[in-house]
Amino acid sequence: MTSLKLVEGFMPMQMLFELALCVALFALTSHLLSKSGKAMPRFWQGILFWVFIVSYLKWRVYPPIPFSVRAMYGFVSLIAVFMWVSSNEEDWKKFKQPIMNVLDANTGFHKALRTMFLIAIPIILWGFSYNSFLPNLDEPVELRTVHPAPPASTKVHGKTFVLQTSQNPFRVNPEGKYDQEYTNARIVEQSMGRLMKGDANPWDEKAEGYLKYVREGGEIFFQNCHFCHGDNLNGRGLHAFAFNPIPANFTDPGTIAQLQETFIFWRVSKGGIGLPNEGFPWASVMPPWEQHLTTDEIWKVVLFEYWHTGYYPRTWD
Amino acid sequence: MRDLRSKSKWFLVLVALGAIVMVSGSAIVWTSAEAQEGGGVPEGFKKEELPVAPSAEMIEAGKRVYFTKCVWCHGVDGAGDGPAADRLWPRPRNFNQGTFKIRRTASGELPLFDAKKPIPGQNDLFDTVTHGLPGSAMPSWEGILTEEQRLQVLSFVTTQLVKDRKFDDKSSETLTVIQLDSIKPIPSSEESLKKGAELIVDKKCVECHGAEGRGDGNAFNLKDDWGFPIQPANWHKCWNFRGSRQDPYNVKNIFRTFSTGVSGTPMPSFADNTTVEERWHIANFVNSLCERDSKGEPLGIDPLTDKPKINFVMRSGPAEGEISDDPNNEMWQKRERRIVLFGGQITHKPRNFVNRIDDVWVKSLYNDKEIVFLFQWDDRSKSVATEKLPFGPTEVNLDQYVKEQAPKTGEPDSIASQQSKYTVYNDAFAFQFPVKWQELPAPIKPRYLWGDQKYPVDIVKWEANGTVKAFTGTGWDQDFQDRDDFTEKLKVLKQEWKDGRWTLMVSRPLKGDYDEDTKFEMGKYIPTVFFAWDGHNGDAGRKMAVSAFYYTVLEPPIPKETYIYPTLIAVGVVILEGWVLTRRANKKKGKKL
Repeated sequence: MTSLKLVEGFMPMQMLFELALCVALFALTSHLLSKSGKAMPRFWQGILFWVFIVSYLKWRVYPPIPFSVRAMYGFVSLIAVFMWVSSNEEDWKKFKQPIMNVLDANTGFHKALRTMFLIAIPIILWGFSYNSFLPNLDEPVELRTVHPAPPASTKVHGKTFVLQTSQNPFRVNPEGKYDQEYTNARIVEQSMGRLMKGDANPWDEKAEGYLKYVREGGEIFFQNCHFCHGDNLNGRGLHAFAFNPIPANFTDPGTIAQLQETFIFWRVSKGGIGLPNEGFPWASVMPPWEQHLTTDEIWKVVLFEYWHTGYYPRTWD
Repeated sequence: MRDLRSKSKWFLVLVALGAIVMVSGSAIVWTSAEAQEGGGVPEGFKKEELPVAPSAEMIEAGKRVYFTKCVWCHGVDGAGDGPAADRLWPRPRNFNQGTFKIRRTASGELPLFDAKKPIPGQNDLFDTVTHGLPGSAMPSWEGILTEEQRLQVLSFVTTQLVKDRKFDDKSSETLTVIQLDSIKPIPSSEESLKKGAELIVDKKCVECHGAEGRGDGNAFNLKDDWGFPIQPANWHKCWNFRGSRQDPYNVKNIFRTFSTGVSGTPMPSFADNTTVEERWHIANFVNSLCERDSKGEPLGIDPLTDKPKINFVMRSGPAEGEISDDPNNEMWQKRERRIVLFGGQITHKPRNFVNRIDDVWVKSLYNDKEIVFLFQWDDRSKSVATEKLPFGPTEVNLDQYVKEQAPKTGEPDSIASQQSKYTVYNDAFAFQFPVKWQELPAPIKPRYLWGDQKYPVDIVKWEANGTVKAFTGTGWDQDFQDRDDFTEKLKVLKQEWKDGRWTLMVSRPLKGDYDEDTKFEMGKYIPTVFFAWDGHNGDAGRKMAVSAFYYTVLEPPIPKETYIYPTLIAVGVVILEGWVLTRRANKKKGKKL
């Protein structure tokens, strides 16, 4: 079973690959069957294929897709199957032949089948509609804006930071000047595992300047942030399982990689409580870190997050 | 306050003495058991060859992994003292002595590790890094580090950071491996469970793990090899068993841990004083205790969090007449229970990094007057403050009494050494609903932590001294306001602490003063947050465990339309069928003509 497990971070690729493999297998089997003269009727091929798609979506894909979305995919694939079986007149005839046989009921078997269908269809539909009329007590779906528009400036510990012009005071080169090129060259490698570069170890005793600040930021991160955002900054921390929504995943290219450093500084300083309404401030347990950390410490944590995920902060130009 | 302190000091001395007696006592028992065996191989084990040392390249590559990912908890020298260590419990492992928790090797031996063999089930350390240790801060590195990187970092740890022993030293090390794959399990049966239940008493498992296995037996006297207090496992939460990830209901996990012990902790190996058969009976019994659903099937475990799956809707069922105060009454037994998971409150000071309560099971019933909640959660100790508390029940800013941060490891009063030594406060439980939720523009809710000025919340808080009170909350740092009128209408129908589990049943009216008290309406989603305090953990004020937003819904009775419309639809379908058949028949006739 372990080889069949969906591996985090590869799920979309893995699922596409699996689906492609299954379609190929499907085509191969039906080709072999028809070659050996035992071709499967078009009718059953179509149904089997559709059932496979629907059950794959229901049982295999994780986290589970809501029914409404599954119904949509199911409908689209139904249309695809119809297009396939009706691509030419002959195929279409072959496809509908079994249905017509049952409708006409020329043999005893078909007659029995027809009677069964005539009775079963209203009963099944009654059941379905009864279920859909039952009071629905599912979890309500609430969509929140993950990256709401930031304010123009933010005041932290009595100092005003203008988001467009502020810079991380620790993103510096050995001369002490703000330098993105220098620091971006020393972040972890953007490959599997996201490991640090061999010559840029923040834990090196001789580490100075940028790398030393990264280590200090990491120490603060692991004393305060990793409980939720996780040891690998992927939002799978020690307490994360209890939360809804779960904490942000910084390794996801859709989070800090898309944002300016000052945006992160604002979010960290003001926390969930400082979010505008579209960001659901009531549900966020993100602390306003200005209550726990100094501005320098916040900047260092931001520095560490970009170092550890191997992303460049987005710039304004 | 001084009185309380001096008393607890004496208590501590007694506890320490007790611990010393116990530890030395068990040491004597174990050495004699080994002597009797005469160095033979315990039943179910087999001698194996030591692995070859990993290459220098592997070790060098592993250093890079270690200093990117591991150093933050395990420390520069692997002594389990990284920056995060002081706020974690259980603490990160100290590698220096070569003690590792999850092994397939005999007691006292190093775990299996071979840098050339990333095979699950044959490489203990590789499995630990791959799957992490559930119930601790060690995450699963599967999908984050490649297999190669996992082997590299282990090569570094086993050769450079394990300082007291050598994995490939034939003169001092042996490998005696439990043959988990070839030993035939004894399937669980009534007979086996009965034997297991007797054996856990015979083998003194219950002394630490408690009569019901909730880890409440000797919860406050146990220390690990480094002197840090630790607690026995709760058998009812198998998803928190170390070495059980993605397969927590597999009895083999328990069989292995029971056979080999957990190094560095007071959990010994039972290989020498139990037969394989006895071990299976015990494992079957322990496994049978893990929480299951109403049909006795294992709970669904969320593969992304490795915890039971959550449903955020808390249904309250309609009841006819009086609601029973007995959880074993049929009306309660029939109700589905739902799990609510807790995290520590780590938003505002004082934060709770090491929450002891991590879940609660909830059931609810309502009638025309009241709604009753049944809460059941595991807590290793019943904590009721023996002296008058220095703060009132409405106070929430208790930074003066409740400490979140403690000095560093090694210094007195560090967070790790503090465990179990806090001043004892009351165990407590609370739940909150928005006041006037009917007027909230969806999806707005009052803040999860006791509401805010604009949207106040209705809080009902129970404390272990038997009080239950209604408060209004207007913010995380605002003292509660008493709602005396409503408090009078609250009832504690049952409160009981037994063998490590609290059972609490609280009743509240469906409605009260509309402006102050939450009014319940059928079929509506009412945002709910749950809070729990463990008095022995020093929890009070904001130091507590807290849940996410759940929704309480009063299940409405089934309306008539539910029967009428489907019947109409079915009749319509029958007519349609008739039409299709006639049409087909006509068409065919037409063809023949």
